[in-house]
Order: sequence, then C-alpha cells, then structure tokens
Amino acid sequence: MADVQKDVPFKSAQVEALVVIKIVKHCSASFPTTATGSLVGMDNDGVLEITNAFPFPTVDVANTDGHQNDASSLAAAAPRAKANIAYQNEMIKHLKEVNVDANNVGWYTSATMGNFVSLNFIENQYHYQRDNDKTVALVHDVSRSSQGALSLRAFRLSPEFMAAYKEGKFTTESLQKSKLSFKDILVEVPVIVHDSHLLTTFLHQMPTLPETAEVPLPTSLNDISRDPARLPANPSFDALDLSIDPFLEKTCDLLLDSIEAHYTDLNNHQYYQRQLTREQFKITQWQTKRKAENAARVAAKQAPLPEDEWQRLFKLPQEPSRLEGMLNARQVEQYSKQVDGFTAAITSKMFAVRGNLLPE
Amino acid sequence: MAVDQENFVHLTRPLAPTLLGFGAGSAPLTVNIQPQSVFSIIDHAVRRDINGSNSNRVIGALVGTRSEDGSEVEVRSAFAIPHVETDDQVEVDVDYQKNMLALTLKAAPREQLLGWYTTSHELNSFSALIQNFFASPETGTFPHPAVHLTISSDAGSAISTKTYVSAPVTVVSERAADTCLFIEVPHKLLIADSDRSALSTVSSAAHTEARAAPVVSDIENLAQSLEVVSDLLERVSGFVGEVLDEERDGSHALGQYLMNALSLAPKVSNLQIENDFNSHIQDVLMVSYLANTIRTQIDLSQRLATATIVGFGGEAGEKKEGEEGEKKEGREGGGGGRGRGGKRGGRGGGRGGNQQREPREPRENGE
Repeated sequence: MADVQKDVPFKSAQVEALVVIKIVKHCSASFPTTATGSLVGMDNDGVLEITNAFPFPTVDVANTDGHQNDASSLAAAAPRAKANIAYQNEMIKHLKEVNVDANNVGWYTSATMGNFVSLNFIENQYHYQRDNDKTVALVHDVSRSSQGALSLRAFRLSPEFMAAYKEGKFTTESLQKSKLSFKDILVEVPVIVHDSHLLTTFLHQMPTLPETAEVPLPTSLNDISRDPARLPANPSFDALDLSIDPFLEKTCDLLLDSIEAHYTDLNNHQYYQRQLTREQFKITQWQTKRKAENAARVAAKQAPLPEDEWQRLFKLPQEPSRLEGMLNARQVEQYSKQVDGFTAAITSKMFAVRGNLLPE
Repeated sequence: MAVDQENFVHLTRPLAPTLLGFGAGSAPLTVNIQPQSVFSIIDHAVRRDINGSNSNRVIGALVGTRSEDGSEVEVRSAFAIPHVETDDQVEVDVDYQKNMLALTLKAAPREQLLGWYTTSHELNSFSALIQNFFASPETGTFPHPAVHLTISSDAGSAISTKTYVSAPVTVVSERAADTCLFIEVPHKLLIADSDRSALSTVSSAAHTEARAAPVVSDIENLAQSLEVVSDLLERVSGFVGEVLDEERDGSHALGQYLMNALSLAPKVSNLQIENDFNSHIQDVLMVSYLANTIRTQIDLSQRLATATIVGFGGEAGEKKEGEEGEKKEGREGGGGGRGRGGKRGGRGGGRGGNQQREPREPRENGE
C-alpha cells in the first residue's frame, strides 16, 4: 500500500462539512436502497478539496414496477448513465454561477456494512478516473455510522489496476505478468473533515459538555425531566451502545454471500479447466492420428499431410475473467477487518459491563 | 441551540383576498430545518461575491416537504441564486432559479419549493419584492405561504436564524408588488438520528485550530466517549461525596434522580452474569476468528491462482486451478480432515478423462 500511495496525485481528501452532511442525509434517506451522487471541488497542492456534492436523480421505482434491488442496481450504475452525465454537467454549470468550485472530483455512494466492492463500483470509478486522474469515490457506510462513529472512506483505483482494466484482460497469464493482486485494486485515501469559519461559529452554538462552573440545583424531579441535559454532538455517546449482535450477524450473512460468490467463481474456472483439458485431449488424439496417418503415407511414398491443421479444427475455450474473484477477495478482506473492529470495541465494552455488574 | 424557539405566540396573518377559502392561509405554521440546509446556506454566505454587488447578503431557495395540512414544513435543502442588489434596484436571476429548481427536484421528486433564504436579518422593500415573487401563484408556493428564512452571517458574532411568512398589506395598488407584512413563525433545527454521527465528526473538527479533523475509527471514538463519560461520572461522585461530607447542601431532586438511575441496574446472580458473559464473548471471538480464517483462505486461493509454478511452464495455470478447488472445498467442509477427504473424491470424478497428462503427477506429489 505504502509505495502505491506515492504515485497517487493527491495525499488526502479534505471533505467540507457541508459535503459530509449532504452525503449522510442523502444516503440515510434512501437507505436501504443504494444512493449515489456527484462531488465537486478542486485539487489544491496535493490535497483534494471536496467542497460540494449533489445527488443523482433517482429512478421512480413505482414506474419501473421493480423491487428494491432494481432501484439499488439502477442507482449503483447511475454515475455512468448517460442521462446522469448530462445532469451532472448541467448542475456543475449552474453551481459555477454561484461561485462553487466547478470541477468534478468524483462521486459518492452508500454502503451497508462495507459491501461496496463490486464490479459496479470499479466501473464507476474507472469511468471517472479515466477522464480525470484526480477523482475519488467516497463511501458512506450507513449501517456502521448508525453505530456511533461516522464511516466515510475515500477510495480510488490504483494505476496498475487502471492499466489492467483498460486492457480488459484478467487472465491468469496477465495477472502473473503484472503481479496484480486483489490488494492492489483500491487505494484508500485518508479523509479529513474541514469546517469553514462561519460554520465553526455555528457549531460552537450547538450544545457542548456541561459547564464546569456551579450550576443551580434543580428543585424537583420534574425540573430535571422537563429540561434534560443536552448532550454534545462530539464525542457522541451512541458509541457506548452495547448491542452489536445484529451487526455481527449481518456481516456474517454478507461473508457467506461472498463465499457463495467465490464458489461460483471457482466452479466457472473448474468448468473452463475441464473444457480445456477435453479440447487438449482431442487435439492430442488428432495429432497422434495424423502422425500415424503420415507415417503410413510416408511408407506408401505419398506426401505427408500438414500437422498444424488442428489450430483450425479445434477452438480452445476462453478463460473466464479473474476480476470477479479478485473483487470478491477484496470484499472478504474488508468484511473480516470490519469484524475485527467490531470485536475490539465489543470486547472492551463487555469487560466494562462485567466489571460494573460484578465488582471485584 | 442556535435555531430553536420553545415559546411562541402565533399571530394570525391578515387574509389576502385570493386566499379566502384556504384554511392553510392563516393556520399556524411551524418550520423544521434540517442541518444540511443550514450548512448549505452558510457555505453560500462564505462564497458570496464581494465585488459584483454592493450588498452583503446572498439569497437562495429553500426546498423540502410540507405536511398534508400545510401546518408544518421541513426544509431539507437549499440552493443559491445569483442576485445583484444596488441602492435602488434588485435583480434576481429568475431563469437560474427555475432551472436549478427543476434540477434539484429531479433528484428529489418528493420535495417542493418552500420559500427563500437570505443571509442578513434586515427586512426591506427588496425583501418584500422577492417574497412576493416566491409566494406568487406562477413562480412560487401559492396557495401555501412562502417561508422566508434569515440567517445572520456577520463575522465574529453568533449565528441566529429567524423565519417569516408574509401577508399582503397595501393601500395603494401600485405598491402591492413591493409591500408585504412579514410575520415571524417558530422554527427549530431538526437533527435526525442518522445525522448525529456526521455532526459529531463535523463538530470535532470545529474544536481544533485548523478546523479540520480526520475521520476516526470506531475504537478511537469509543475511547473518546468513555473518557468523557468517566469524567462526568467523576463529577457526579465528587458532588455526592461533598454532600456526604457535609461540605455542601444536597438537593432532594438530584438525590431522587440518582436513586432512580441506580435502581435501573439489573438484579442478576453473579453466576448468571459470568455465564452469559463467557458465552457471549466466545461467540464474538468465534465470529472474528472465523472471519479471519475465511480471509486467509481466500487470500491463499488468490495467491495460488496467480502463482507461477517454476518448471511447469504453460501448465502452471492448470495446476493452481486444482489447488484452488481444494482450498475451497476444504473450507466448505468446515475444517481440516473432513474437507480433505471430500475434495479428493471430488477431484477424482472431475478429472476422469485426463489422467494421462504428465503435469498432473508433480502436483500430486506437491500436496
């Protein structure tokens, strides 16, 4: 990872608070359907500043009589759709008039428990990164954010992967040559959240921690319930929530799906393998036959028949692309890291609970 | 909170003649503002032109949803509109407003135009003119009243917000276009649960010198929360201690509140707790262990898939296939021994026809 980072045209993505809140709002409003949108901003001295965002038009599900998955897949493919590219250009043109940075710097998408690594994701990012190297994909994980800490990550495709994807060849041979592994597909870019001066003023008006100075004592219980202490937005106490099982369960489900996908992928390869050996066996047979025939012909003093005709007669099957498998591997890696994170947090919380209930 | 008003007197607006028969025209109105629209407006205020116009304010449109009876509106987003204001005239880019509204509504079909905002508290005849534009039947929110939101954006002072609706008042008909009565209506900042994690990150940035903060991981976030909670608990126990030592007067209400809170602790036997704790933590660790095993397996399978096996040349591709299959089946079987047996059988069947091929041999040995 570290050496890949050097070739990246920017070191970090600086996301304006406005963008954070817009993305979070849009993604959670359309949850569990995938939501996608476009990012604008500019590249400033190695830092990609993302200063505004707008959602892509949604497809009316009622009209297309599809169910959730259809809407999700349509939304996931939205960044590449022709109509949306026009929409994006139009929107950027309008934003330019009110002094918003008028450069497209990527796109954002929502995710559930980190399940964003897919062909769609790759294609979208490829589509953006092909035209402009300084683009990024922001992924907001709605489920994980509801658990406490905001999950907003920025990704881009590594240059090696871009080159490989351009050729569209993911055969065993090409992968051996390029030494591309699933770990090199995506490069994560650190995300920094930034507030404008004016916004800082506004945020300081939000509730903060109780003052250290003396506070007047309440006169009755009602006083307390009528005017509950306002909790500050940061640090958020949502992180102290103990229920983790649903999250683990969901992740396990997704992991199982990945295994399933892996299995399918494998079966494809095995099928290809069998097909290949069968063809090769036939070719060998044909060659032996031809050799015997030729030997006979030579013995009969006739001109030998050409021995390379098999190239026309037999066709070797096409090797299935390795890309799916690689993406799947990347996805599994993502899940298991996520589980590690959950485990770390929940074990500490559980020990805290036990310490509280069972004092030494 | 910055935009939050609890007590409010509702004034009934004078009815416009065109509004007769519409109940919504004079009903009390509450405005809920979502943080993202405030953020948008503040961003717009920061990006204003300082040369083009001699006024310090910017304007824009508010978009959102309205409840069935029209008594409650929710401002979900806002977009900026270019405008030029001089001493004696104001110019609003009407085309821009129309196009931008169409674009915004395309992405959020359930929302509609609600009104407009400006970044100063001053209400003048230009405000009335723009207000009438936004409330008009052709280009505005008619028959519902247009909401006017003002946010002060002066550097160095607190940001305050006010919301208004308007009623036409005029004695001279030719002044009707630029006169109206602004009536303040209550509003509050609506923070949904889903916004809180974002607000938390954003406000953590607000407390630093550079006004920037990295997105922290779950565990760091947990550590921060725990620190704050333990500080707060410290404070409470300090207070209780002082009361017990008779250093200060206690409060009955607080005492009662604390008792109530403490009595919420469940009464469970120690053995039970120990049991539950152990079984749960085992489950969690098991999931983590399995997830990592799967990751290792898949990693290995990917590596084998593209590994070059020295000495077999073109057949390398074949070989790894076979092994990948084994990996897979081994895992499916749930672990070592059982999976192994299964896979051997499976492979034997699958490869029936190609046993004579030489490269197979070393593979068998290699295992």
